[in-house]
Amino acid sequence: MQQKLIDFTNLLRKSGVRVSVAETLDAFAALDEVSIGDREVFKDALRTTMVKRGDDIAAFEHLFDLYWSAFYDGLRDAFDKAAEGAGGGKLDLEALMRQIQEGLEKLPGAAPDLSELAKALLTQDLSKLEQLIREAAQQAGVGRIENMLQVGFFTRRTMEQMDAEGAGRQLRDLARQLRDAGMPDAQVDALMELVERYLDALRQSVRQFTERELQQRNYDYMEKFRRESLLEKSFYNLTEDEIRMMREVVTRLAHRIKNILSIRKRRLRKGKLDLHTMLRRNMAHGGVPFEVIYKHRKKDRPKLVILCDVSSSVANVSRFMLQFVYQLQECFNKIRSYVFVSELGEVTQLFKDLEVSQAIDKALDGGDVINVYTRSNFGHAFHDFWRNHLAAIDNKTTVLVLGDARNNYNDPRAWCLREVHNKAKNVVWLNPESPSAWGFGDSVMDKYRPYVDVAEECRNLRQLSRIVDKLVL
Amino acid sequence: MFASVEDVQERLGKQSYICDKNIATVVFLASRLEKPVLVEGPAGVGKTELAKVVAAATGRNLIRLQCYEGLDEAKALYEWEYSKQLLYTQILKEKLSEVMAGATTLRDAADRVASEDSVFFSSRFIVPRPLLRSITSDEPTLLLIDEVDKSDPEFEAFLLEVLSDFQVSVPEIGTFDAKNKPIVFLTSNDAREMSDALKRRCLHLYIDFPNAELEQRILETKVPGVGQRLAEELIGVMQRLRKLDLKKTPSISETLDWARALLALNATSLDEGLVRDTLNVILKYEGDIKKAHAELGRLIARKAEDEAAKPAAAPGAAPAAAPAKKGALH
Repeated sequence: MQQKLIDFTNLLRKSGVRVSVAETLDAFAALDEVSIGDREVFKDALRTTMVKRGDDIAAFEHLFDLYWSAFYDGLRDAFDKAAEGAGGGKLDLEALMRQIQEGLEKLPGAAPDLSELAKALLTQDLSKLEQLIREAAQQAGVGRIENMLQVGFFTRRTMEQMDAEGAGRQLRDLARQLRDAGMPDAQVDALMELVERYLDALRQSVRQFTERELQQRNYDYMEKFRRESLLEKSFYNLTEDEIRMMREVVTRLAHRIKNILSIRKRRLRKGKLDLHTMLRRNMAHGGVPFEVIYKHRKKDRPKLVILCDVSSSVANVSRFMLQFVYQLQECFNKIRSYVFVSELGEVTQLFKDLEVSQAIDKALDGGDVINVYTRSNFGHAFHDFWRNHLAAIDNKTTVLVLGDARNNYNDPRAWCLREVHNKAKNVVWLNPESPSAWGFGDSVMDKYRPYVDVAEECRNLRQLSRIVDKLVL
Repeated sequence: MFASVEDVQERLGKQSYICDKNIATVVFLASRLEKPVLVEGPAGVGKTELAKVVAAATGRNLIRLQCYEGLDEAKALYEWEYSKQLLYTQILKEKLSEVMAGATTLRDAADRVASEDSVFFSSRFIVPRPLLRSITSDEPTLLLIDEVDKSDPEFEAFLLEVLSDFQVSVPEIGTFDAKNKPIVFLTSNDAREMSDALKRRCLHLYIDFPNAELEQRILETKVPGVGQRLAEELIGVMQRLRKLDLKKTPSISETLDWARALLALNATSLDEGLVRDTLNVILKYEGDIKKAHAELGRLIARKAEDEAAKPAAAPGAAPAAAPAKKGALH
């Protein structure tokens, strides 16, 4: 049992669930307190002591079923079937075993030496069998299995390792000896058949075990792959399912950044001595300033103006950026958002009225204010903004532009952005294209670059979270 | 203390807290292994309530520490009572000069004062806050550290000593060891991931929304007047509501509120109008209510299918209740 639990711990660790040594010890202590017989309680006891993150529960449940039950149940099934099928389903197993026992006592000389495996097979000692298979599999290196094609190979090696053939031979010998000692033919035949069936069941079980090992490894691999890659995956090519999962990841990331920010803000807060409050607070100490009070320096939350390109080429990128920014709403004093393709339209009200994800869907659709089925024209959009909405900007405003700066060879009118830049606190441009592509083809990023304080490539979540961090400070 | 997992279930049941085996197992293990329990889960599934009923079931005093941003050790552990110390110094001034009367040198005088240090830094001048109180209490206690995720990460560090060794160190005095080891519950809404150091010391319990059967049992225990038909319908709607993508998913406490509201309106079964008028009891955001309204047809339609399957007795009180309902809500 001990070894088995430690193996299970290792399995959890391999799958990315962090289990410390102390927690394993807790698990052992917990198992002393509850009855292992009750599967549910056993599972809960392990879970509560070893798995401490809500996200890991799914992985734990999956592995628990794979590890603790599936194999033993499979083993029992295989052997039950083997015993049932023997002798055309009419075999009285108990009677046979009794007779074998009697036969063995009558055997001249010492009873034949049986290997552990042979004994376990004959007496159907399933937990012993399980243990033997586990040990043999470990020695055969089944843990190194990588793909489906190796299942046969490792099954054979495991069988060799526990000397299944030898056990079979010993059992057949035993049957022959029993016949010599005067056991009726019918029963010897039944025993012979049973032995063959058991060996078959054993082979099946070992194969099952190997396959299961492969599954366990794959589970861990696939989980990791999925999580890692979602962070790295470019927004351009996401399937619907991934978009849904992405939303969760975005929410979590936003959550984390909010936490980090709240800590940093607190550290920033200490300022000048606040004499007034300090005197009053220390009245209890006879005016002796035991507690020193500082004035809290107010850190302005930045105002944010978002200009978001919603042309189809960047729609996916814009979606996540918008979502991210709006998850962080409370970090900003005020957000005004505009969408553009060629015309520019304000969608701030949309975000007030609708729920975030709906609002984003609508905004990407032009939000009833602009026509999205035109060709991108950044120059026109910026000019529009400069003429009609420059009042939205003051010296505390950060202007955030989301777009690829592919201008379809229109006039970039970079001077509009310069005017905006002069008036705003800073201008941040997030471009889904990599910097090496800026200024090539119809990209006018190089024309805009001088008037942008921070220009960053932003194509996946990891980059996005890094930038937002900069943005709110 | 508890004898077995079933015993936990039964004794919590007596406090009208219905729980599944998972929760009972964790509570049982916590009492046996003397380890704190970190309870996580969505708001309103009964995390705080669990701590309260365990206290009631074991006859322990409940000491509650509500966490918030900016909570520091002076509010959670202990605080020196400076003003009292000052007052004592003033009053004892004469006595002090007596003590120092024979001193010839400055060093001698200082030594004498130092020898009386323990008078001023003793538990006499300590104001115990919840953590220290639960440690030093003569009666066995249950310490509830509520919404620990709302506190600052630094605060977790103070907790570690209490949670792993059940002791509090006061530098000037020494270490207070627990006279009776308290049972500790920490609850978290997952606003922030707790540190590994803290998690390692705790048993972990995740309480999720209950399934229909369990929720019905909870409802019948907590709101005894609710008829079986109403309970079934209500829980059907709740379970379906939780599948919608809502900003705030309604939990058990909302179910109970809703049931009480419906009882107050003398309703014995649900109909579309009634649900529409009382949705604001269970949904707390305008957007959510709109969404639920849009889905209302589906929620009711599903119910109609159920009804077609088993013809129910005609609700006698429902029509009479209709006017009263309008009055109560507007």
